[in-house]
Amino acid sequence: MDKIFISAASLVTEGDVRGARLGKRLGRLDLASQLALLAVDSLGVDFDSQPRDRIGICLAARTGSLATDFDFWRGRDIVGGPSPTLFAYTLPSTAIGEIAIRHRLTGPNLCLVGEDLILSEARDLIRRGEVEACLCISCHVVTPAIAEMVQTAPTARAGAVFLERGGDGLRELRENDRDIETLCGVSCARFVAS
Amino acid sequence: MESLANELKVRIIESLRLEDITPEQIDDDAPLFGTGLGLDSIDALELVAMLENSYGIVIKDLEEGRPAFQSVRVLATFIQGKRAS
Repeated sequence: MDKIFISAASLVTEGDVRGARLGKRLGRLDLASQLALLAVDSLGVDFDSQPRDRIGICLAARTGSLATDFDFWRGRDIVGGPSPTLFAYTLPSTAIGEIAIRHRLTGPNLCLVGEDLILSEARDLIRRGEVEACLCISCHVVTPAIAEMVQTAPTARAGAVFLERGGDGLRELRENDRDIETLCGVSCARFVAS
Repeated sequence: MESLANELKVRIIESLRLEDITPEQIDDDAPLFGTGLGLDSIDALELVAMLENSYGIVIKDLEEGRPAFQSVRVLATFIQGKRAS
C-alpha cells in the first residue's frame, strides 16, 4: 500500500487574515472562507506538480457555517434585507468552492461538519486512486456573538495540510492521525503569513 | 449630479467591499459589470440591496433594473429620476 505523506502544513488565525493580501475581492468572502483560503495559500504548494483534476479538497468545518448563518439572520431587519453576498456563504462547503476557483482545482471534494473523519476520508480518496494528492483544511470560527450564545470562547482559525501519495514530505500520515490542527502543530512548515 | 455620483462610488466600494479601489479610480462612465469594475451577479444583488438601504429605491425585477446598472453616471441619473417621481 502506498504511503501517504504530509508535504506541507499551515495554521492561520483571524489576525493573519487582516494582514493578508490575497486579491481584490477577498473582503467579500466570509471569515471562514478567508481563513481557509489563506491557510491553503500559506502552504506554499505548487499545484502544477499534479494534474489539477487529481487534487482533492477535504474541508472540516468544525462549526459549519454557524457564524455566517447568524450574521445573515441578524440582517433580516435591515432595510433592503440581509446581504446577498453573505447568503452565498451560508453553506459550510462554500470555502471549498473559493479554494477550487482560486487554484483551479477540479478534483473531487468533500465537506464535513466536525473533524474526526476528514483525514481518513482524504486518505481513502488517495488510496482508492481518485486523487494523487489532497488538500485538507480544518476551519473553526466562533464569533463573539456565537460564543455568547453557546458559552464558549470566541476563536477564528484554520489549519491546512497537503497530503500526497509517496514522496518525501514532512512526515508520513499515520492511521491514528485525526486532527489537522494537531498535525499543523507537529509539522508546520510555514506559520503564516502576511 | 456630481456629488451623487461621488457618493455612489463610496457606497459601491463599501457595500461590495472593493479593497484597493478608491472613489477617484472609478470612472463615471465605466461599465460596472464585465469590463470596468468587473462586478458579477452577486454584486448586482448587493447593489439592489444598497439602493433600497441607502436610497429607499426598491427594484423588484433585476431584469427591469439592469439598464440602471450600466455605470455610475447612469445609476445616479436613475436615482435622481426615482427621487423626482
